[in-house]
Amino acid sequence: MTLRTKQIIITVLALLFLASLIVVQFEEINRRKQEAGLTEHVITVPENSKRCVECHVEQTPGIIAHWRGSTHAEKGVGCVECHQADEKDADSFRHEGYVIATVVTPLDCSRCHKTEFDEFERSHHAKAGNILESLDNRLAEVVEGFRGDGSGIFNPHSPTPGRADLKDVNGLASAMVGCKQCHGSKMALLSSDGTSLTQDDFKPDPKTGQPTNLNAVGRILRDARGRPKFDPKTWPNTGIGRLNLDGSRGSCTACHSRHDFSPRRARQPENCGKCHLGPDHPQKEIYEESKHGIAYRDLKHKMNLDSKSWVLGKDYSAAPTCATCHMSGNLRNNGKVTHDPGERISWTNRPPLSMAMDTDINHRVIKEKDPEKRRALVHDSWMQKRQRMQEVCSHCHTPDYVTSFYKQYDDFLQLYNEKFGKPGQQIMKALRANKLISKPQFDEEIEWTWFYLWHHEGRRARHGASMMAPDYAHWHGMYEVAERFYMEMIPQAREIAEHAKKDGKAKEGQAVLDVINAILARPEHKWQATAKVGK
Amino acid sequence: MAIRAWLKERVPVSGDDLRALTNEPVPKHLKRWWFCLGGTPAYLFVVQIITGILLAFNYQPSPSTAYESVRYITEEASFGWYLRSIHKWAATFMVAAVILHQMRVFFTGGYRKPRELNWVIGMFLLLCTLMVGFTGYSLVFEQLSYWGATVGGNITESVPLIGPFLKRMMLGGDAYNERTLSRFFILHAAILPTLMVLLLVIHVAFLRLHGVTEFEDPDEKDGDSKTFNFWPDHVMTELKIGLVLMILLSALATIFPAAMGPQADPLTTPEVIKPEWFFYVTFRWLKLFPGTAAVLSMGFIVFVMFLWPFIDGFIRRRRPKSEISVYVGIVAVLVIITLTVWEALVAH
Repeated sequence: MTLRTKQIIITVLALLFLASLIVVQFEEINRRKQEAGLTEHVITVPENSKRCVECHVEQTPGIIAHWRGSTHAEKGVGCVECHQADEKDADSFRHEGYVIATVVTPLDCSRCHKTEFDEFERSHHAKAGNILESLDNRLAEVVEGFRGDGSGIFNPHSPTPGRADLKDVNGLASAMVGCKQCHGSKMALLSSDGTSLTQDDFKPDPKTGQPTNLNAVGRILRDARGRPKFDPKTWPNTGIGRLNLDGSRGSCTACHSRHDFSPRRARQPENCGKCHLGPDHPQKEIYEESKHGIAYRDLKHKMNLDSKSWVLGKDYSAAPTCATCHMSGNLRNNGKVTHDPGERISWTNRPPLSMAMDTDINHRVIKEKDPEKRRALVHDSWMQKRQRMQEVCSHCHTPDYVTSFYKQYDDFLQLYNEKFGKPGQQIMKALRANKLISKPQFDEEIEWTWFYLWHHEGRRARHGASMMAPDYAHWHGMYEVAERFYMEMIPQAREIAEHAKKDGKAKEGQAVLDVINAILARPEHKWQATAKVGK
Repeated sequence: MAIRAWLKERVPVSGDDLRALTNEPVPKHLKRWWFCLGGTPAYLFVVQIITGILLAFNYQPSPSTAYESVRYITEEASFGWYLRSIHKWAATFMVAAVILHQMRVFFTGGYRKPRELNWVIGMFLLLCTLMVGFTGYSLVFEQLSYWGATVGGNITESVPLIGPFLKRMMLGGDAYNERTLSRFFILHAAILPTLMVLLLVIHVAFLRLHGVTEFEDPDEKDGDSKTFNFWPDHVMTELKIGLVLMILLSALATIFPAAMGPQADPLTTPEVIKPEWFFYVTFRWLKLFPGTAAVLSMGFIVFVMFLWPFIDGFIRRRRPKSEISVYVGIVAVLVIITLTVWEALVAH
C-alpha cells in the first residue's frame, strides 16, 4: 500500500471522525441546554391527542402553543388525559370520538396529583367559595348589585343607545366579575326549564363526582352537537374556591394557568397578586414594600425559577416569594411542598379580630374560647404552624432574629385586637343589641365605618406587620384604624345614642354610651379624653 | 559582557549547544499540519494547565461547596465563564487531537520497530488523558457528573477480582462519599498531570532518540532537501496551529459557553445519564453486552492496543507485505465513530 493511499485513508477517516465529533457536540450542547432549561423540550404529541392538536392548532393556536411549553407536553400528557370524562359525568359530551369535559376540575387533576389534591382540598383556598354566604358577597350582590329573588334580574330604566339587545340588567354582575373570579363561582349548567343546575342539584357522588340525581342530568340543556351549556353567570371562572359540578372545590388553574401549568409562574408573587392585593388584603403590595420583595425584584435572575426542583437553600436562596414561605419545599423540611398555605400560618388576620390558627381535624379554625374544650379540639396547633414557617425563615435568619420578629408580630396583633378590634366589636354589638341599628348590613353609616376599620385598614395593618411592611403596618394601617375609630366610629356611635335618647330610647341610648365611655376610660384611650378637656 | 560571563560561568550551556539541541533536522512531511498532531495535544495540555490553575483558585472540592464554586466561576468571577469554557473545549479538542495523532501514527506504521515502546508510552498518555477528562467532568458536581462518577464506580466494580478494590480506591469508599470529590480533584489537578508531564518527557525523548519517522514523499522531487529546521520553521508551524486553535477555542467558548446543569442530588436519579463524549464508545459497548463480559472485552481490546506494535511485528515477520494493521485500523475507527454517534443520538 503506497503512502498516498494511506494518506487518503487517514484523511477520509479523520474527516469522518471530525464530522462525528460535530454531531456528538451538537447533541451534547442541546442536551446541556435542555438540562439548564435554556431550550424548549422536544415535544412528541401523544397518539390519542394527535387529532386534537391537528385541529386545535388551527382553531385555538394559543392553547396548543401553551401546552407545547408545558411539562405535561414534555412528559407525554396530552389533551385527552386531562379532558377525558365519563359519560355519566354531568358536563361530559362526545367530541371527535372521545368523551370529554370542557372544565378540568381538581378531581380530574387528582387522577395523577392525588397528594396535591388532598392538601389543596383541606386548605383555606379551597373554601374561598364560602364567600357566597359572607358579608363581602352581600356587598357585591345587594349593595353594589341586586339579588332580588336570586336571579338578580331587574329591568333597565331607560335604553342604552346603540345596544337595543341589552334588555335585562344582571344585578349579580359585580359579584360575578369581581368576587367570584377570585373566590370561585358555583358552576352551573343551563337547564331546559330555564333555571340553572349546580352541584346542589346533581348531588355528586363524593368519590367519583358523578351525579346521583339523574332527574337533574335529564334536564341539562345541550346544543345541537350535544354539548352541555354552561350558565355564563358562572363560567368562565378560575376562582380558587370554585364549587364544581363534580362536588370538588377549587380550580388548579387559579395558580397553575392553563394550558402550560407553568411552575415558574406559580413561584412568582405576581401570580398570587391576581387576588391578594387591593385595599382589603394588599399582600402583594405589602410584599413589594418588604425587604423580601425588594430582594426578589433585584435578584429575580438568581431565583432559578425554571428549575425542575425548587427547594429553598438548595436550588435558590436569593429571595423568598409567596410560594417560598407558604408552600414550597425547603432544606429543613426535606423539600416537602404543600398545597395548603395555611399549614405555615399561625394567625388568621381575615376576621375582625386576629385569631390563633388552631385547626380541628377537619382543618377548620377553632373558635371555641374555653381553654379545655379548645385543647380537645386542636388537631394542628398555631405553634406547629409557626414552627413550619420558622423552618423557612431559618434558612436566612438566626433563631433569635426569627423569635424576636414573631414577638413584634404578636405584640402588634394584640395591640390591634385589644385597642380597636374588640372595642369596635363591642360598640357594634351594643348598638345591635339595643336595636339602635337595623339588622341588614350596610344600611347605616356606622356599619360602613366599622367595615372599613377592620376589613380594610385593620387587615392592612395586620398583614403589613405579618410581612414586614412598615408603611402598611402604620400609615396605611394602624394610623387609619385609629383615625377611623376616634374620628368616625366613636362620634357616629355617640350620635346614634344621643339621637336615641332624644327619640324616646333613653335606656338603650345610655347603654351604648356606657359602653363607649367605659372603652374610652381605659388607659390606652384616656389620652383622647384628656386632650378634649384641655381644649 | 560581565553579566554574560557571570551567567555563563554559572549556567555552563553555550548558544551552540542550545542550537544543536533545538535544531535537529525535521522531515519535510512535518510541514503538513496533520503530521503535527502530536504537538497539538501538547499545546492543548499547556492551555489546560494554565486555565486549570486559574480555575483552581476558585474551585472548592467538597460536595457542599463544589457546585456553588463552579457556579461562582461561571457566573460571577471575572472571565470565569471564559476560562471554564476554554478548559472544557480544550479538553474536547485534546482528546480529539490525541485520537487523531494516534490514528496517524497507526496508519503510517509510526509505531513499528524500533519505536514500539513509544507507542506504549502514547497509550499510557491516552489513558491518562481519558482519566483526567473523567475526573474533571466529575468535579462540577452536577447531576450528570455525579451520576456519571457513580456509574463509573459501578463499572469499575464489575472488573473480576480487583473490581471492588479499584472502586474503593477510586471513590475513597464503597460508594460516592464526601471524600470522593477531593480524591478526584487531586487526581485531576496533581497526580495525572504530573504523570502526563513525565510520560511526555519520555515520549519526546524517545522521539528525539529515534528521530521522526521518515516517509517516501510521493510529491517530493529528486534533489529537494529532505529536511527543514526545527527552529524557527517547525516552531512557526506549531505556533500557527496554536493560534488557530486558540481562535477556535475562544469562538466556541463564546458561542457555546459551559453551562450549569442541575446540582447533584444523590436521591434523584436523572432520566438520562451520559458520561463525557469520549466515553460514549465504552458506554454503548457496556449497554450492548452483559456486565462482566463487556468490561472484560473492553479490557482485552485496550490490552491488544497496548501490544499492537508487537503483534503487528509478529505478523510482518511472517508476511512482510501484510497491511493488516490498515484494515484493522479502518474497522476500529468506523466502530468507534458508529458507537459514539449512536450513543450521542439516543437517550438510553
